[in-house]
Amino acid sequence: MIQTLRTAASLALAALALGASPARAADTGPIVLGVPTALGTIEGQDSLRAAKLAVEEINAAGGVEVGGVKRKLEIASIDTREAEAGVPVLDALAAMEKLIDEKKPAAIVVGSFRSEVLIPAMDVIAKYKIPYLCTIGMAPGFEPKIAGDYAKYKYNFRLGLSAPYLVGNIAKTMGFIHQKLGWDKMYFVHQDVAWATGTAGGVAKLSAAAGWKVLGNDAYPTGSRDFSSSLTKAKAAGAQVIVPIFDMPESGVLVKQARSMKVPALIAGFISPAAPATSWATFNGEIGGLVNFLFEPGSIPLKTPRSEHFYQAYGKAYGEETLRKMSGHGPGPSYDSVYVLAAAIRRANSLAPDAVVAQLEKTDMDGAIGHITFNKNHQVPFGDDPKKEAVTLAFQWRDGKRVVVYPESVAQSHIEAPR
Amino acid sequence: MSSPGRATRRERIDRGIKVRSDEIFVLASARDLAWVLLPRALAVAALLLFPLLGARVGPYWQTVMINTMVIALLALSWDLLASVGLISLGQSLFFGLGGYVAGALDSFAGLGPLWSIPLATLLGAALATLVLYPLLRLRGVYFGLITFALPLLFMRLIETTGALGGTEGVSGLTPLPNRTVEIYLVTAAALLTAFAFRRLIATDYGLVFHAVRDNERSVMAAGFDVQRVKAQAVFLAALPAAFAGAFVTHRYQFVGMTAFAMEYSTLPLTAAVVGGPGSFLGPVVGSFILVPLSEAMREFGSLRVVLYSLMLLVFTVGLPEGIFRFVARKYGQFERRVAIEEAPDGR
Amino acid sequence: MGGLLASTLVYGLVNSVVLLLTSLGFSLTFGLSGVANFAHGGLYLLSGFLCWLLMHRVGLPFPLAAAATVLLVGLLGAAIYRTVLMSVRGIVLSEVISTFAVGVAIVEFFRWKGFTTYDFTLPALVDGSVDILGVTVDWQRLLIVALGLALTGLLWLFTHRTMVGLALRGMSQDEYTALSVGIESDWAATLSLGLGSALAAVAGIALLPLGIISINIGYDVLLIALAVTVLGGLESTTGLILGSLIVGFAMVITGNYVGPRWSEVVYLAAIVIVLAVKPSGLLGKSKELEDRV
Repeated sequence: MIQTLRTAASLALAALALGASPARAADTGPIVLGVPTALGTIEGQDSLRAAKLAVEEINAAGGVEVGGVKRKLEIASIDTREAEAGVPVLDALAAMEKLIDEKKPAAIVVGSFRSEVLIPAMDVIAKYKIPYLCTIGMAPGFEPKIAGDYAKYKYNFRLGLSAPYLVGNIAKTMGFIHQKLGWDKMYFVHQDVAWATGTAGGVAKLSAAAGWKVLGNDAYPTGSRDFSSSLTKAKAAGAQVIVPIFDMPESGVLVKQARSMKVPALIAGFISPAAPATSWATFNGEIGGLVNFLFEPGSIPLKTPRSEHFYQAYGKAYGEETLRKMSGHGPGPSYDSVYVLAAAIRRANSLAPDAVVAQLEKTDMDGAIGHITFNKNHQVPFGDDPKKEAVTLAFQWRDGKRVVVYPESVAQSHIEAPR
Repeated sequence: MSSPGRATRRERIDRGIKVRSDEIFVLASARDLAWVLLPRALAVAALLLFPLLGARVGPYWQTVMINTMVIALLALSWDLLASVGLISLGQSLFFGLGGYVAGALDSFAGLGPLWSIPLATLLGAALATLVLYPLLRLRGVYFGLITFALPLLFMRLIETTGALGGTEGVSGLTPLPNRTVEIYLVTAAALLTAFAFRRLIATDYGLVFHAVRDNERSVMAAGFDVQRVKAQAVFLAALPAAFAGAFVTHRYQFVGMTAFAMEYSTLPLTAAVVGGPGSFLGPVVGSFILVPLSEAMREFGSLRVVLYSLMLLVFTVGLPEGIFRFVARKYGQFERRVAIEEAPDGR
Repeated sequence: MGGLLASTLVYGLVNSVVLLLTSLGFSLTFGLSGVANFAHGGLYLLSGFLCWLLMHRVGLPFPLAAAATVLLVGLLGAAIYRTVLMSVRGIVLSEVISTFAVGVAIVEFFRWKGFTTYDFTLPALVDGSVDILGVTVDWQRLLIVALGLALTGLLWLFTHRTMVGLALRGMSQDEYTALSVGIESDWAATLSLGLGSALAAVAGIALLPLGIISINIGYDVLLIALAVTVLGGLESTTGLILGSLIVGFAMVITGNYVGPRWSEVVYLAAIVIVLAVKPSGLLGKSKELEDRV
């Protein structure tokens, strides 16, 4: 106890000393990029890895030139623990504030994991005024908030997928199924959180307009482990497609239970535990036929130089095993966010937040997730052509392999009906 | 330790001044007064001067200070409940109610923090009392279990009904003017609560609280309505916790489901256990150890939760009286070694 | 909607037994030694990961790994009593806090060690499924029902028909008399902690194959165990069964007829209401004036 107290005291003193001497020597030192995110989750871990990879690549090429000086980049990360049960949003914000106060980052990449944290985090960013390039949190409220008060929230950008674009892409995939397989009965099962509710509702609306009959739309609280009621109803009503929208590990039960209850429908939607390449083994091959979305390319690369480069470099840096486990949400845009930021700093020739923001808005470059630009609300548009915009992939599990089935511009095959 | 050949043991003797200040209440000299007052005065002065250091400590440690005070308020609330024998495992209930009332008042009624914080303190405490009232007959583990479940119920209710912002919460609330105001506000609240509770428990009214804890039947026999006493204790205990919720809501301009998060229950509980329950100053001391320590360990991610639960374990089992009592006892006594006479070759 | 009714019946029963099995260990320990073992969820999670590690890192076949897990977790439970609980025995608050701390430490340790990926599953004991009343149920769930009922029965026999079981119950009913006939209090409590923990491991190994092992299960399981035992009345086997049935069916009925999003609210509300009306649980021994546990 005495020892720990002593350590705490010396830490406190060290912090005092740091606070007392303003970091003036930083003009030639490394440019710090903050990564405050949920490092206990695979999305968080993989995103941090991807951002670090980009930083190493840029440093190996000499760094970023600002005001005539080549400066290296440096990542400072902190675990906000925001995905853990019982951790308050405010504690996650406190972690972010700690990172900003102590490490004085020039910008933040990756950012909040949960939508519930992302939205109030924008207020913290408004207070500190540093560029914030978010890649995981999918809150639908992000764009409206920037649109509502541009001057205050202009420091926020998002390279990761946002719920409205996911809605568009799932709906298009459904249209595809409707056309190719002639099906028209669907059933929604989703997690009871804002982004999933919004996504399911949005897809249901668009699909209904496109000729689908929506038989049901059930919300399950986070952590649920019994999906029999929806599966029974879906089976009884003769649903041909079940659309699950979940990012909780427990949703793995849904896949297994649908199989054991012999529900004949195709499962097509988003189930996080069935996305990585290793999940075939995890589920003993019982996920054959499942259609899942990769929110952003990365884990499955696009056929573009940047995307394939990222895939290979990631494998080389972290090993085959880590590459196979790579999450379908986070790493791609996180890797790109560092490049986007570096380019903006180079063009601005300064670290002044407003100058960097102005240059970020002019971003127009190829990345691992497709072509990157920002719309007027600072969101990267996601569509189906990697030459024009970032893309979302849908793949189908077949014999232990993930076969890309959407969008058509990169698809390897068509969606097949379950056996 | 022991000198060769002669076994010794430690002997503790109360300092004379401790005997006088405890029992007789006659403090003769300036020295005596200083002995009694100095620790308190120093602590209070340090707390009041801290915000003036301003930029010298940096914004981060100011934040830590605020968090410490917030946890201290919740721990004080826990301690008052414990003094009527109600062991709460769900302090986040009070915190969350205070936070949501403040959020609702600010967002829907447009009252600023000047009105919403005091109102939320009162309303939040009243609501908490109302919710707990039918459950006050429960004792021991049962009361603990129900307080553990209640914040989760509220969380699920908000999640399911989508009321008050649902899972997204209510954001963009009116902020407090600046950090100095924040620190002074929360420090003043914590000091006020600590000393008010200490005073309260020493009065005849407070004596009934302890009596309810120790023997409900005799309190009934004395003609008191136990249910009423408990309800009053819950209301009083809920005040600082609801204030903490309202304060934090305005500080982060946000209130969400996680205002009912388990961490607002476990941290105060740990602080109270580490500092020493029953003394009101103990929980404050506990917060001052726990919160900065857990901040310093933030880099370790989940490991810090492992470490602080182990700390909780060690204190519960190894030093149940808590640090505050332990130190206070040492302060009031001196020790010397005396020879053990009847054991010739040691033990 | 006949199919829905049948499904409600079948899955209501399955769900009830899942809850029963989840909370059996917690209830047994509480009934026999009066210790509310808040490390129950942590031990449940631990047994899942331990079994997985024994299979994939040590290379044991599943049955052996499962048996070893039950044994090791049982021993750990006994060790928790010997090292931690013995010195705070009888102080309810300290018992709860210290076991809770142990539980949190276990759960967060696995999180820290990175057991958050989607790689952890246990194999089902039996594959395939069968139709009952026109509802398709898999054998694993049926096996869980059989296991849950059999274990409950066995435990009842153990506590009511064997010398050891009677000794344990004697200790929980009247400690002084039990001491005077030569039953050792610490021995009884060690045994009850060990048994309760081993049951948590059995539950984990039987239930986790239904999905994948995720960290937060550690907290959920504790809550379920609390809810079910409190509802029926602590220390009562019939109460435990009744509690599981009420919560289990309430969740499935709300899920089927109101909407799955309400199911968790319903069971939490059930506990609060029952306790407000009947403080000692549905079948607990109610006392008028005080000492309602």
